[in-house]
Order: sequence, then C-alpha cells, then structure tokens
Amino acid sequence: MTKTPEDRRLELLQGTLDMLVLRTLQWGPQHGHGIGQAIRTQSDDLLTVETGSLYPALHRLVKRGWLKSEWGISEANQRARYYRLTAAGKAQLLRERDRWSQLVHAIGLVMNPAPSKE
Amino acid sequence: MKPDVDDLDEEIRGHLALSIKERIERGEDPEAARLAALKEFGNVLRTRESMRSVWRPRWLDAVEALVRDIRFAVRSLLRAKGLTVTVVVTLALGIGANAAIFSVVRSVLLRPLVNRDPDRLIYIRQTALGIGTENLTFSMPEINDFKSRVKTISAFGDFSTVDFTLIGFGRRPRMVTAGVVNGRFFDVMGLRPALGRLLNAADDGPQAARVAVLTHRFWTAVLHGDSTVVGKVIHLGPGMATVVGVLEPSVPYPAETQIIANVVTSPHHLSATMVTGRTHRMTELFGRLAPGATLEAARAELAAVHAAMLREHPEAYSAQAQVGLRVSTLRDQLASPARPILLLLLAAAAIVFVIACSNVANLILGRSIRRETELAVRAALGAGPGALRRTLFAESLILCSAGAALGLVLAWPLVNVAGRYAARFSVRALEATVDASVLWLGVGLALVASVVLAYVPRLPSFDRPGGLGLGGGGPRMTPATKRRLRILATTQIACSFVLLAGAGTLLATLNALQTAKTGYDMRKVLAIDVPPSATGVGGPANLRFFEEATRRIGELPGVEGVASGMIVPWRDHNAGLKFQFAFEGYQTANGEGNPTCRFRPVSPRFFAVLGVPILAGRDFTDADRTDTEPVAMVSQSVAQRLFPNGDAINRHLWFASGGKPQPRRIVGIVVDVDDENVVQEPSLTVYLPQRQLGLPSRLFVRAAGDPYALVPSVTRTIRNISAEQAIERPTTLEDVRAEVLTPERLNAFVFSAFGGVALLIAIVGVAGVLAFSVSARTREFGVRLAVGATPTQVLTLVLKEGLVIVAVGIIAGAVFGYGLARVASAYLETIRMPGVLPAVVAAVALVAAALVASLIPAARASRVDVMQALRSE
Repeated sequence: MTKTPEDRRLELLQGTLDMLVLRTLQWGPQHGHGIGQAIRTQSDDLLTVETGSLYPALHRLVKRGWLKSEWGISEANQRARYYRLTAAGKAQLLRERDRWSQLVHAIGLVMNPAPSKE
Repeated sequence: MKPDVDDLDEEIRGHLALSIKERIERGEDPEAARLAALKEFGNVLRTRESMRSVWRPRWLDAVEALVRDIRFAVRSLLRAKGLTVTVVVTLALGIGANAAIFSVVRSVLLRPLVNRDPDRLIYIRQTALGIGTENLTFSMPEINDFKSRVKTISAFGDFSTVDFTLIGFGRRPRMVTAGVVNGRFFDVMGLRPALGRLLNAADDGPQAARVAVLTHRFWTAVLHGDSTVVGKVIHLGPGMATVVGVLEPSVPYPAETQIIANVVTSPHHLSATMVTGRTHRMTELFGRLAPGATLEAARAELAAVHAAMLREHPEAYSAQAQVGLRVSTLRDQLASPARPILLLLLAAAAIVFVIACSNVANLILGRSIRRETELAVRAALGAGPGALRRTLFAESLILCSAGAALGLVLAWPLVNVAGRYAARFSVRALEATVDASVLWLGVGLALVASVVLAYVPRLPSFDRPGGLGLGGGGPRMTPATKRRLRILATTQIACSFVLLAGAGTLLATLNALQTAKTGYDMRKVLAIDVPPSATGVGGPANLRFFEEATRRIGELPGVEGVASGMIVPWRDHNAGLKFQFAFEGYQTANGEGNPTCRFRPVSPRFFAVLGVPILAGRDFTDADRTDTEPVAMVSQSVAQRLFPNGDAINRHLWFASGGKPQPRRIVGIVVDVDDENVVQEPSLTVYLPQRQLGLPSRLFVRAAGDPYALVPSVTRTIRNISAEQAIERPTTLEDVRAEVLTPERLNAFVFSAFGGVALLIAIVGVAGVLAFSVSARTREFGVRLAVGATPTQVLTLVLKEGLVIVAVGIIAGAVFGYGLARVASAYLETIRMPGVLPAVVAAVALVAAALVASLIPAARASRVDVMQALRSE
C-alpha cells in the first residue's frame, strides 16, 4: 500500500466492486483476503479495496445468492471463509460485464468524439 | 445461513492472519507486521457491524430509526407540557366518545344473537295502526290458525306474560313477571339451559306438571347463582311449581321476565276466554323457518293466512283498526328501534372526533411554526424531507397513542352509561362491553389522526422565498399557514354549531314535554302498584281488599284522600284498554265504526284525589254497585264531540261489541286528561265505577305533605290486611312523568354533553389561533401603536378577527347542518329540523364563547410594549 504513491491510486467507481469480486472468483473459490489481493495485483496496484467495503460486499453477494461460502483452511493454517461463484453469480457477472462495456463505450463516445464524416 | 458474531470475528481473524503471514514472508518483523495489518484493516468493529447489517432485515432499520425518533419526540414533547396535555385530553375525548358509542352500536346492531341460527328465527307481530297500536299481539285462536295452516314455519313458539307473586327460595314474597310459553318455545328460540333443563313438548297441556325455568339475570342477581335451585318447589301465583332449570343468558325479548313457566301454571291461560276468545290478545309469536324456506316466502304465506283469517272472522277485526301483520327476523326486530338513535349518536361522536382532530391539528400547526427554525437547522444539517416527516410522525404518534389510551380508559365508564341509555331502545345494548374490537377502533383512530397530523405542518424548503428561514426572530406566518389555521378553527366552530343546535332542539323538546300541563295534580299524589294476583284476579275478594285498604289508608295522618283504579298515567299506558262504545243519540257517519274510547274503571273520589275537576254532574259513589243502576262518566271531549248540543248528562252509552247491550247512564263529565301521552291530547275516555265493573290494581294516595313520607305507613297498612301482598313502585305522578321522559332526557343530556365538549374544544381552538396570530403580529401591533393607534383599536382588531372566524364557522355549520339533517331525515324518520330558536341560541353561545376566547389574546395585543416590539428584530 505504502508503495503506491497517493496520486496513482484510483477510487473504485460506485457499483463496480461487486463486478470485480464476481470476476475474481471466476478463477475458483477464494477467501476475502485473497480476493482483495487479487484485485490489487490484477489492477497493477491501481485499485485497492478497503476491507471495510469488501467484507460487507461479500456478505451482500451471498445474501443475493450470487456467491456461496464455506469454511476452509487458509495458507496461514487458520480457518477462513472461502467464497465460490454460483450459477446465478455467473449469470450476474455476464450481465454486469455487458453493462460495463456499454458504459465504457458510451463514455468513450462522449469523451473522444469521432471526427464527423462530412 | 445468517452468520453470527463469532463467525464474523473468525472471518476477520482469518484475514488478519493471512495479511500478517504475507508481511512476514516479505521480511517484516512479526510485531510490526501485526500492527501494520491491523492498521490496514481499519476499524474492525465497524466492519463487523456493516457485515452484520447486510443480514439484518430492512424493516428493522426503519423500526430502529422510528424508535430513535420516538425517543427524541418524547423529550421534545416533555418540554411542551401544556400543549401535550391539551392535545392528549382533546384526542382522548374524541376517541373515548367514539369508542363508547361504537361498542354500543356493535352490540346492538352488529353482534350475532346467542340464539341458534338467529337468521332463521323470526318474530311475528300483529299491528292495528288504525287505533295507534303498534303491537296488538295475538289470541290463541289466531295462533292456532297459523300453526295449522302455515308450512314455511317449522315450529311456532308463543310467549305471554303474567304477573305472579313468587314465594320461595327462603325469601320475602315478591312480584315477578313470568313468561308463559308453550313447549316448543325454547326450541324455536334456539336457547340452551345454563343449568337443568328447559321446557319441552311434554310440559304442554293442562295435565302436565307445573314447572318453571329461571332467567339467568334473576338467577344471578337475586339468587346469586345458587346451583341448588333446580328441583326446588316454589309458590308461583295461585299454585306450586317446580324449578327445572336456568336459562342461558339471552336477550329478554319481548319482555324482561324473572321466570318462564309452562301454560299449566297460569289458570288464566287454561280458561275458555284465553283458549277460544279470538279477540283475547296477549300472546307474542315467534317462529323458526322450515328447512329451505326463506324469510320472504314465510312472510308471503303468513300474510296470506292472516288475510284469510280477517275474511273468516270479520267481527274480530274492525276495518277502522287496520289490523296488519309484520314479520321480521328477531335480530332486525331488536335492532330497528335503536338504529336511528345509535346512528345519530355515532354521527355526533364522529363530529366530536373531527373537532378534536382539527383542534389538535391547529395546536400542532402552531407548534411547528414556532419550531420552524429548529426544523430548518435540521434540514440544513442534511435531514431529508422523509426524516423530518418521520420526526413529526413520531411526535403525533406519541400524542395520538396517549390520547387513544386515555380515550379507552374514558370509554370504560362511558360504555356503561351509553349502554344503559341505549337499553331504552334495544335490550341488547346492555350486553355492550369494551372489548378488543374497541381497542382496534381506538388504535385505528389514533393512527389516522397521527398520519393526518404529521402532514399538517409544512417542512422548511430551500425553494421557498427567503430560504430556510434560519434567521431567528420569533414565529412568522405565511398567508398559507394562516389560512390553514383559520380553516381548522372554522371547521371546529361549524361542527360545534351543528352539535349545539341539535342539542338545543332536544332540550327544547324535553322542556316542552316536562312543562306541559297534564290536568293532574302532579306533586301531591302517590301512585302505587298493588298487583292483585295474590288476592285472586278480579274476584270480589280483590275488590273487598282494595276497599278495605282505601278505608284504612284514608285514616292515616297526612292522607287527604285515597282512590283506586287500573292505570297509573303514562306508566301503564300499554295496558290501557280501548273499546268501541255506542252513544245514545249519536249517529255514526257512513262507513265509520262506533267511536273507540279509552275504558277506565275507577273508584269513587278518583278525580278528587288526582285533582281532575268534574265539570258537570256527579262523581261515582259507594252506592254505585252491581245491584244499582249502571252508570258512567265521560271526558269533556266525549261530551263535546258526541253530544254537540251539550246534553250528555243522563244520556246512555254501552259497549258496542259483543253480547246484549247494557245501557249506562252518563252521570258526570270530567276535564280531559290524557293518561297515555305526556303532552296532552284530547282523549275520548269513558269511566266506569269500579264496583260495577272493575279490577283495581293501583292505589292513589293524596298527601297533605311529602307524599314519599307516607310510603312506610301505607305499606304497613296494606301488609296488615294481606301479608303476602306485593307493593311496588310508589311514585308521585311528577316522578312517573320524569321516568317516562327518561329517554328524551337522556337524548338531550347526551347531545348536550357532546355539544358542551365541542364548545369547549372550539373555544380552545379559537383562542389558540388568535393567541398565535397575536404573537406573530407583535411587531405590527407595535408599529400601529407607535403611529398613533389606541389600544382599543388594536383590541377591536383582534376581536374582529375572532368574530370573523366564528361568523364564517356558524354559516358553514348552518349549511352543513341543514344538509346533514336533510340527508338524515331521508333515512331516519325521527330527525327533526332544529327550530329557529335553538339555532339562534347555539349561534349566540358560540359568539359569546368566541368573544371570551378572543379577549385574552386581544388584551395582550393592546398591551404590546411599543419599544420592545420595534426592537425585537
């Protein structure tokens, strides 16, 4: 964390955390710490997920039925809760990914208008 | 699925362990790694809480917020004690009145009867509207016709009453009203015994054993629920009877009785008169619909059979009487007389509720204006409209719940009062109790009121000109707020006016009834029921007993005169007999029957004792006996109407129906007295001497001083003649009238109470609005006074404002009340338009009240300190 200079860090966009979590779990079951680390390394340290947001989000996703959780033993040799994507979660991930690409596309159109063909 | 706290803690510990391990592997010192991990994690407790809150249902959050708001509201209301008390008491009055009236309405109009299958239990009544008789009752031959011909009714139950002297259960002799019924009666009524058995078909007929059933009320009230009564033998009237059971609690209809016995207990019921006399009517009739039959079918068939009866026995049904038949379910029969008065009461209670609510709304509105600054600060700090509204709702919820709770406490005694009151119209009202349904009503009303109240005040808004109004400087009124306050106050005045005018009308009616001249000496005469059953009905012994009693009581000190008769005016009017008489020299017009006259056997000196002047001729004397010339006296109306030449004396009259006419010479004419109606109407009355034809059962004692002081000596004297004689209800005529007028008095009382409450609330309302208006206009008044207005001018200004509210309210109330009365009179025939006088009195009362209410704020306005007012901003 301290290695990342303040100005490089990015705020997570509202509503994208769920999508990132679902995406991370596509690789297989993982515990909360692992999910946080994965998002960080995958984003080249640009995105950091606060534990204060991550864990409530995980529980919210379980409540909605997109994740399932079970206890397992972590690398630290301690009990940890592992999260796994459910079928409904996979479907949700697809939906969110679509929405996200549309959003990116739409914002891109506004920010970088193509030169008009006359 | 839902994780508990330990689960969450363990998950967090697992995270920290992984974080520490990672740092140690990176080469950090274990202790530093632990601290760094903790630092990175942040606030453990808060994270755990937000994880937990994911699993908490949404409504729990809302409830928590509400609880917070309620605690806040309680604190803020405790700071405004005066307001809180006023609001709670006002609401309590509104809700309490509604709850009480509603429980009576419920028990009378809505609650099912205890009788089995009450929708198939019908009540049949014969009417003779032509002679003003709502309930002619039936004779046994008529009932037997129905029994043999009607197919849509599976069984008939008949019921008549007889007064018996009851001796037994180790108690003093007492008069009881006994129901005499056939064996099917209880089966038809669908009632069960609380103890022992009821009567059945085996108890019918003259050979059956004499048996009786006690009513539940008598058993509990007099015998204190003694479970050993079954099997006891008692003296019941002329013979002995065995108590076989106790009836379950049920509606005492058509008459309140203490005991219900089989036919054999009453010799009269076995007599030829009863069994074969088609015009000997004294029996009420019930029926149970046959399987598959509808009420309409039964009604049609009964009407057809009745019409056939009229054709077959024309002599028993005079055309003039217009004998008819009315068939309804018992349930409707019980409820219908009470319906108009109960609906009226419900309307009055609803109006009181509206007044209470609008007054409370006013108070709340005033309060919300005073705390506008507080709301504005909260809005500025980020409270959304929802949150502000919730705060207001929490406050009104507390106020209304407290009001409802107090209202229900008030409802408790009110239900008893209202129940006893409505019992005059329907016996079912006595069953009224406060129960869960009333509780729900109270809760419902409180909720409605609190939602309404929460939406009364306007919230501070950024859009409003002048912004949030964070600047201090006392309350300010926008024109809209002012209008709302005035509309609410006007509503109160209008509703109060309707109630007051209604109460005024009832009071005027009552006053007219109470002060009407009756022709009797009201204060000096004591009327006493001395029912003859112990001495044998109508026998010579009965007459001898009365003459002996009259003689001995006449000798008592303080007694000015004693007489006897059959009827205590007004009290016994139902027993008043009417017959058709023929008069010598009077030609009946074509198609008109002989005149129907009241028939009153009286003793000599009856008129002197009751203070009724004899206009011409003589009184009856002890010499008018069965062995002397038959004579009669007539009322003034008879003399004038039937003998227009003024020659009634010494002409003859006789019973027009049945048997050989026995002419009686008219020996005297007395002033008209109407013993059926409190407001006197001309009455055709024929008096006969008791010794020639009479069954005395009432004694009249004229006292020199206080009539009630004579009761002990009179009672003693009668008991000396016959120890078993029942002596009941010694009452002066004035008190008899008061007793008869009880329903009217109660009507007037209840409506006056409603009107009074309404007036009180309205005064508070008007005073509140003006007080508020004055405090908001302090600066204006200061300016006015500074530029030369006199205090009197300022005073007038405020008084005028109050009077405008009242005037508009009265006009609105008059229009509303007029419309209400018009609509109501379409459904309820008892509604009368208030006269001009009560309306004017109500208006004057309101104006006077409003003036008083305006005076205090007006005086304050005129005493505004100019300098202070101008400096206040």
